[in-house]
Amino acid sequence: MAKVTVDGRTVEVPGTANVLEACRAAGVDVPHFCYHPRLSIVGQCRMCMVEIEGVPKIQASCTVPVRDGMVVLASSEKALAARNATMEFLLINHPLDCPICDQAGECKLQDNAVAAGLPVSRTVEPRRQFPGYDRTSIGPHVIADMTRCIQCTRCIRFCSEIAGTGELTFIERGGHTIVWTHEGKELDNAWSGCAADVCPVGALTTKEFRFRKRVWWLDKAKSVCDGCEIGCNISIEHRDRAVYRFLPRVNLAVNDFWMCDHGRFRAEELNGNDFTRPVLRKAGTARETHWGEALDAVKAAVDAAVAKDPASVLVLGSARLSTEESWLLAQLFKGTVGAPQVEFHADLGPERRIKNPSVPGGWLVGKEAAPNSRGAEAAGVARAGKGSALARLLDGSYTPEVLYIADAEFTSRASDPAFILALCRAKTLVVHGRRTNLLTDAADVLLPVASLAGKEGTFVNVLGLVQRFQLAIVPPPIVRTDLEVLLHLGKRWGVFDTQWTAKSVFELMKGTVPGYAGLGWDSAAVAGNEPTVSPTSAYDVLLERRLSNPAEILAAAVAEVAGGEK
Amino acid sequence: MSDFQPVLSARLGKKNSCALATYVADGGYASWKKVLAGSKTGEWTPAKVTDLVKASGLRGRGGAGFPTGMKWTFVPSREKRGEKPVYLLCNADESEPGTFKDRILIEKDPHQILEGMMLASFALDVKHAYIYIRGEMVHGAETLNAAIDEAYAAGLLGTNVLGSGLDLDITVHRGAGAYICGEETALIESLEGKRGHPRIKPPFPAVSGVWDAPTVVNNVETLCCVKHILDRGADWFKGIGRNERNTGPKLYCVSGHVEKPGVYEAPMGIPFRDLLAMCGGMKGGRKVKAVIPGGSSAPMLTGDEMMDVPLDFDGVAAAKSMLGSAAIIVMDETTDIPKAVTNIAKFYAHESCGQCTPCREGTPWLHKMLKRIVNGQGKKADVEMLLQVAGQMGNGMTICVFADAAIAPVLSAIPKFREEFEAYVSKSATPGFDQPAAAGITSKVAERTAEGMHS
Amino acid sequence: MSGGANTPVETLPGQPPVGEHGALSCGRELSFSPGAEARFQKLLTRYPTKQAALLPTLWIAQDEWGWISREAVDYVAARLGLSSAFVWGVVTFYTMYNRAPVGKHLIQVCTSISCHLNGAEEVFHACRRKLGDLKPGQTSADGKFTVVEVECLAQCDKAPAVMVNGDDHASITLENLDAFLSELK
Repeated sequence: MAKVTVDGRTVEVPGTANVLEACRAAGVDVPHFCYHPRLSIVGQCRMCMVEIEGVPKIQASCTVPVRDGMVVLASSEKALAARNATMEFLLINHPLDCPICDQAGECKLQDNAVAAGLPVSRTVEPRRQFPGYDRTSIGPHVIADMTRCIQCTRCIRFCSEIAGTGELTFIERGGHTIVWTHEGKELDNAWSGCAADVCPVGALTTKEFRFRKRVWWLDKAKSVCDGCEIGCNISIEHRDRAVYRFLPRVNLAVNDFWMCDHGRFRAEELNGNDFTRPVLRKAGTARETHWGEALDAVKAAVDAAVAKDPASVLVLGSARLSTEESWLLAQLFKGTVGAPQVEFHADLGPERRIKNPSVPGGWLVGKEAAPNSRGAEAAGVARAGKGSALARLLDGSYTPEVLYIADAEFTSRASDPAFILALCRAKTLVVHGRRTNLLTDAADVLLPVASLAGKEGTFVNVLGLVQRFQLAIVPPPIVRTDLEVLLHLGKRWGVFDTQWTAKSVFELMKGTVPGYAGLGWDSAAVAGNEPTVSPTSAYDVLLERRLSNPAEILAAAVAEVAGGEK
Repeated sequence: MSDFQPVLSARLGKKNSCALATYVADGGYASWKKVLAGSKTGEWTPAKVTDLVKASGLRGRGGAGFPTGMKWTFVPSREKRGEKPVYLLCNADESEPGTFKDRILIEKDPHQILEGMMLASFALDVKHAYIYIRGEMVHGAETLNAAIDEAYAAGLLGTNVLGSGLDLDITVHRGAGAYICGEETALIESLEGKRGHPRIKPPFPAVSGVWDAPTVVNNVETLCCVKHILDRGADWFKGIGRNERNTGPKLYCVSGHVEKPGVYEAPMGIPFRDLLAMCGGMKGGRKVKAVIPGGSSAPMLTGDEMMDVPLDFDGVAAAKSMLGSAAIIVMDETTDIPKAVTNIAKFYAHESCGQCTPCREGTPWLHKMLKRIVNGQGKKADVEMLLQVAGQMGNGMTICVFADAAIAPVLSAIPKFREEFEAYVSKSATPGFDQPAAAGITSKVAERTAEGMHS
Repeated sequence: MSGGANTPVETLPGQPPVGEHGALSCGRELSFSPGAEARFQKLLTRYPTKQAALLPTLWIAQDEWGWISREAVDYVAARLGLSSAFVWGVVTFYTMYNRAPVGKHLIQVCTSISCHLNGAEEVFHACRRKLGDLKPGQTSADGKFTVVEVECLAQCDKAPAVMVNGDDHASITLENLDAFLSELK
């Protein structure tokens, strides 16, 4: 540890910290561009200039390791003059694109230009441009505009140090330096959206979000990606009931600063409800109805089936449901109704990876394509394996009277006609659905439900960490969350309370669901570690909590989970 | 002065000066052989060689003038550095405008350089030394390679050199056209197979240089001096030169408007007046208007200021410039100083590596402003602007001192030849627009400063 | 919603095509001749890392094929275990690697300060004019000449200094320019 004094305030920081981090710890935000806590130090932007007592020349604070007893003057005239100078240099060639640039509002250049630099421009020289390399696609998800680039090399370092793919490089030199790829090879790795995240200006932006929405209009919800079992913490950025994009939230124990493109670019899939009312289908004709009739029909069918044979009801849960929803499903059907076959199936998907130095091996790997198989199992929904009711249904040896599917998208095979044909052998098919697929087309009772953005609850990720996702957008009228559907269904059997929220279910179930004992709905680990949501500022929080040993970070996170409420 | 005998340039005019046989016939490799033989008996140790170089007062001939012996002592001892090898890199990237002394040593007396490298390698415990030579010196590289082949064939390089039990390899590594690769850490990056971006210091190359190993980078001429120090002793070397802090023979490159431009060898500290005489004076007998004493990175001096300056590190520093690579560019009264400064600014804009903001953006900005001025579109405020912009580029603002070099011509020429710059502006088509003043009005009207804005 | 992934992404009309900073294709697969391969293998023994052999390997490639094409970049990158982007970044940093075929005589005219003081810019412009009004870097129609401006060649005592391919030529002035050029034809 080292004691460092910054602008008169003394703080103690790890001996491996640099002066920029020490300043942040002391509450002094030194403007910077090229520094990023997860990327190597290059000291190139020359924005973070400070004065250090005893050192004659101005210093780039990110390049200077702390020394015990160091005295830093981060706000002296000399330091401010140096930063003003760098800002002036950056702005002489930077295009006045703010009115058309997606980065506006979350742009480090804008933010730092307000914090440092002159309020007017002194240059009359023509600005350099890179025609052909501006507003040009550089990869399947990223557009590059090199005229805006400030040559900080964050994107280059991200691709080589984090992604490990090295597609980006500096080309040319001096004032003609740009960042680009080599002919024929695009910026095409599994995390290319993160390269756009780390870019402090609008030189790299994502295609999916291009011109969609000004960022200051976006409301943010702290959520968890449901693309795979890693459970990257995300911010659902939405406005007027529409989801515009996902951004990763910092979580040192799970996804660190990153998220993969598969998860990131699923954001807009959360928009859209193909069904606005429950639908009953009889003899080929479908008619919309209200919840009362639909749920009564479900109860009637289930009661009749259970009366004949409890094993004639098969309830298929989903690894995409929250633990609370899975728990209600299990409690209702296994407990109250007496239909013991409550199973779920989770697809194995393409392997997803997130680089995280606190994980042994350095990579967190997700093999399942859904977020919460562990929660489902813990809540009492059995994983469908050999000999399970689902297996027997698929191989033709079992035909249920009632097949209750709590998630029309529980598997990617739900678009596979052969798969659906098997499921449709059930006499009565009840489906929770949001978007049209073959399963919803075939449902006898179709119950419209909300997307991930429309509900809240917890998932248990691949590390066994319980993570809570918040509501982003209240579902449209009539559409319910899976949780509400189950509560209303339960009421018909005299259990549950329709006033319950996801939180109250959490409190009810945590005593008996493995992994949930002693957790608090609002505890830091459950609610998502970092209070800020935007990755462009989130890592500032990291500076305060940076530990020198990554293993300690994970241990601390695990201790938080296991150790109870905070 | 008349009793000074050339040392470094003694063999340059000889027939077959490059050949090993002639080099040996002239006494070459005697020191290498003596040190190798003495290394077995203990008569010669690395420390002894280093002490000799320290005692000689030799200061680096590449431009920085850092005491060579002291630089060598920064390499950690065997105990401290463990298994890490030490590397010696000979900086033959000579690219400072006005400099051409290393070229002639390379092309005409390569074995002198090799022997210097061998002796330095002995002092530093180096097993593999490299010569980083600029890509343009195609024939220079061929000459060096031929000399190295001869040395291997004669057993002066390789394994168990001359039975000493020591190994030494030397490899020539060609650059490909980048002035910045003469900066020691950029040279190291280039040797490692990357773009030549200077590194943040610390760590210094002596501790962590090429391939993360302790590295010493020495100039061609410096290493040649090492050979002569081992030949004739530290006292002899110290006896040449103006004083104890500026010792040894020096190669001076004189170019520009002199009668006989070329490389001239003289004791350190020869007054400019005398050197000019050696060059046959000014072409056409004209007057000296301005001189850049140490390559384009050195501040410009007026002819009057220059005349009696002793041409050594301290002498030129006292005149508020630097000896640098001893590349003396002499300009006569026909010289258009603004155009000359514009030309130099173009050089720096081309050669900036582009890593850090002040240099990447500042060097082209300076060049654009100067071009505009000499093309007759200068503005009244431009001359002051040039000084202000140059003034915010150096002194720690950048990773390396390229920016400090780039601003030296601007910061020295404008105060000394201000009328010439202002004459351009007054003849300009649009002299009247005063940008900073107008900007001042704008900010007053808008009633905004950076204060009070959200963060 | 407006905008999004299908927003047209184009450059303004009249701008150069994308690829000005990209590597040109030579239209065929490349590999080292036996001689080049032997030089390459010897090279690898002189450095502790493969990456360090990059600049010398690029020189071998340029000696082989005259210029560094996209295929040359990919080949060199593969031989040294580096990414093609990295190799291209190195190629474009240095001025001496040709990124397109050059004429039989690559005429490099120095216009740094000492040569400038001796009229080098006039020599550079005259040279281009006399060889067919060539633009800087442009190759003459008969493929014989390319003229470029370079920085200090360390030949300042022989200003204006000119290099042709790897050879140094001293004191090329307006007076002897014609004679110098006729010797090259």
